[in-house]
Amino acid sequence: MTRYSQIAGEGRDASDLPVWRSADTLDLAYIGYGLLIVALVLVSYVLGVFNWLPHDPEQIRFDLLNAPPGSAGHLLGTDFLGRDILSRLIVAIQAYFLPGLVAIVISLMVGTTLGALAGYRGGEVEVLVTYVNNLVDSFPRLVLILLVIAAFKADIYYIMIIVGVTGVPVVASLVAGKIAFLRQKHFIEAALVLGLPSHVIVLKHILWYHCGPLLVIRATIGMGEAILIETSLSYLGFGVQEPMPSWGNMVQAGANYFFQGKFWPSTAPALAILLTILGFHLLGDGLNSILEDRGGK
Amino acid sequence: MNKRIVVVLSILAVVVGTPPVSPAGPKNDGRPDGGTLGYGEYGRPSTLDPITSNEMVSLRITELVFNGLVGIDEKQEIVPELAERWEASKDSRTYTFFLRKDVMWHPREGEEAKPFTADDVVFTYKIMMHPKTTTPLKVRYEFIESVEKLGDYGVQFTLKRPILNALAKFSFKVIPKHGPSHPLYLTREDPFVRHPIGTGPFVVKTITTDREIVLVANENYFKGRPHINRFISKPFADQNIMTQALMFNAIDMVVLVNPRDIPELQGDKRFVLQPYNALSYAFFGYNVRSPLLADKRVRQAFAYAVNRQEVLDSFFNGQGTLVSGPFAPGSWAYNLDVRPLPFDPQKAVALLRQAGFAPGPDGTLQKDGKKLTLSLKVPIEKESEAVKRVVLAFQNYLKNIGVAIKVEFKEWQAWKESVFQEHDFDIVFASWVFDDSADISSLFHSAEIGAWKNNFGGYSNPEVDGLIVESKLTLDHEKRRTINRKLHTILAEEAPYTFLWTLTNYSGYHKKLRRVAIHPYKFFSFADEWFIPAADQK
Repeated sequence: MTRYSQIAGEGRDASDLPVWRSADTLDLAYIGYGLLIVALVLVSYVLGVFNWLPHDPEQIRFDLLNAPPGSAGHLLGTDFLGRDILSRLIVAIQAYFLPGLVAIVISLMVGTTLGALAGYRGGEVEVLVTYVNNLVDSFPRLVLILLVIAAFKADIYYIMIIVGVTGVPVVASLVAGKIAFLRQKHFIEAALVLGLPSHVIVLKHILWYHCGPLLVIRATIGMGEAILIETSLSYLGFGVQEPMPSWGNMVQAGANYFFQGKFWPSTAPALAILLTILGFHLLGDGLNSILEDRGGK
Repeated sequence: MNKRIVVVLSILAVVVGTPPVSPAGPKNDGRPDGGTLGYGEYGRPSTLDPITSNEMVSLRITELVFNGLVGIDEKQEIVPELAERWEASKDSRTYTFFLRKDVMWHPREGEEAKPFTADDVVFTYKIMMHPKTTTPLKVRYEFIESVEKLGDYGVQFTLKRPILNALAKFSFKVIPKHGPSHPLYLTREDPFVRHPIGTGPFVVKTITTDREIVLVANENYFKGRPHINRFISKPFADQNIMTQALMFNAIDMVVLVNPRDIPELQGDKRFVLQPYNALSYAFFGYNVRSPLLADKRVRQAFAYAVNRQEVLDSFFNGQGTLVSGPFAPGSWAYNLDVRPLPFDPQKAVALLRQAGFAPGPDGTLQKDGKKLTLSLKVPIEKESEAVKRVVLAFQNYLKNIGVAIKVEFKEWQAWKESVFQEHDFDIVFASWVFDDSADISSLFHSAEIGAWKNNFGGYSNPEVDGLIVESKLTLDHEKRRTINRKLHTILAEEAPYTFLWTLTNYSGYHKKLRRVAIHPYKFFSFADEWFIPAADQK
């Protein structure tokens, strides 16, 4: 059955095939890998929350400093204080999970609101939103974060709030562009003719039906970005602070021993960062080509 | 740990000597001239003059460029430098220095070299004491009442009161009257601080765009031209790379080898690893203003709870010695009869019980419903992973006896403000470097409590105050020694700090460098005697 909205050009293409059947294999592989990473992250988060770990991540062992992988039951070896690297890798997810969500929620909520206002209302509102976007965008993100750290303290939540706020312009311009494009479609006219109030049109017909995939894609990429920002800050010494592990501070601490041939303390978290960020980006990429670009292919 | 707070004072021995005056020119000691020495430094100094600078990096450079009236030789004895001889009055209140007549200042480009005279000495003293001058040295010289010039080559200092080892204090570096652009005071904005001229064995030539400081041999050095042609100070932001740079011949010397790189250099026949004593120690300092730390039993308990030998052995390859009190180990003032406290967690727990703490529901000790939770502030430094290890191990040891330590890493400037200005901390981890091992007045005297003063923990004890003053005033070396031994015993017992260890410092250098003698504190004092055999000069 065809709904009225589809006649008006709203909604999905009137194809009988499910989305994944029409996608090509590479995109599916991307998404599959991405989902695997997401699942691993979720599992690690849960393991961390319930403290189901191979070792106590804060247990210092003076007799096992930088022990190689496999020694004394430490699968990935130990770090510069003899702490188990695998347990710390798992617990480190805690450092990103909630703070990363905070960053994503902020940039999506604020970005979508501003984008919808600018795209739907246009005119002066659009000028104002563009102005605010440019203002935030022109400020170097790392400098802003370092300023906040200097003014308050090196706290991951403060950092992630900045990451969220500075992520707003990207989301806002994406949403605004999308709406500006949709506004010319017949289904909006139809909705207006039907007398639907603006908030229903914006929330349901525009955001819910059409911007969902866009926002999911942004969210996955945003999570990758949050991890990357924390990593660069940790390298400067301003990220998550010891003894709480984060992949960034693990790489940083381990790097001090890299030249001595003890590569595992920094390599393990570095690989974790690489594979995870790759996962989030490929997931975003795969979703993007399946959900957004189908028409163009 | 290379950003140390430096307590600058001075050293022992009173020897009056008359040196042979050797003419400027080559040393004629049969050793070859030539070659370049590139050495790795921990960052780049902000100033290069001896008055405004307060970092170890600058101190090492000024040692190459400047001289004092007197110097201190390898045996810690006073030797003539710019003054060829001196006399002290019977009441030890006036010191008269007779200056060398053959000393020339380094010439500035396109200028003739100017001779060194008594005017320069008077000028240096006056500029050092001027209220607008930026310098950590003022407090060291407040014992001088006046200075007077006696002709072109004589200077007389009058002291407010006789002090022990006064002569050693005249090792301050002399700067030229025609050096600074302002005639009365010296600030960090003066061009002189970045391109100084001195009388020393090496001349500051250029500072390259890579921030390398190039020093060339002073052909007219009054002790004879130094053997090595050029010294180049190369700044490293990351100390991990410094030892690697040495191994790959990018530099010839590392002034302070990172403890964990020592085994690597030890096993390499191309390099020499030379230990030197730096008169320093590391400690955990307590803010006794905090009601939780005011009870000395709590502070003592912390000392018993930490296995310091284990930390020293695991993190520093055992390259150091535990210390038990406030004086620099290896100095005459240090009391060897006071033993470092043993590792005894049970005793620590017992002491905390006595102080009224009992385990709370979450295992953390508490007293009157107040948890024993303390903040430990640590400056963030990129290269401070040894510091990180120590503080995290400390946190872990105290967790084992039920004390919660919140480690806070802060940016260096912010850390200094919260510790020295706002006194907003419970515990700090830091180290002192001394050049007068016997003077601890700025650390523990109650008059030194206040913003930007060294008694940042607010420790105040009338008995200690009295002993410190007595030790400063006495002119009898044996008596002073007895007083200091007593001070050591009291402060070890009172535990305003948990005294940790002194590390053996190692310099690592290529074996082509010969006759390398290292001054424990100033490092390059004898560098004019170092040489490189002709075959190795490249």
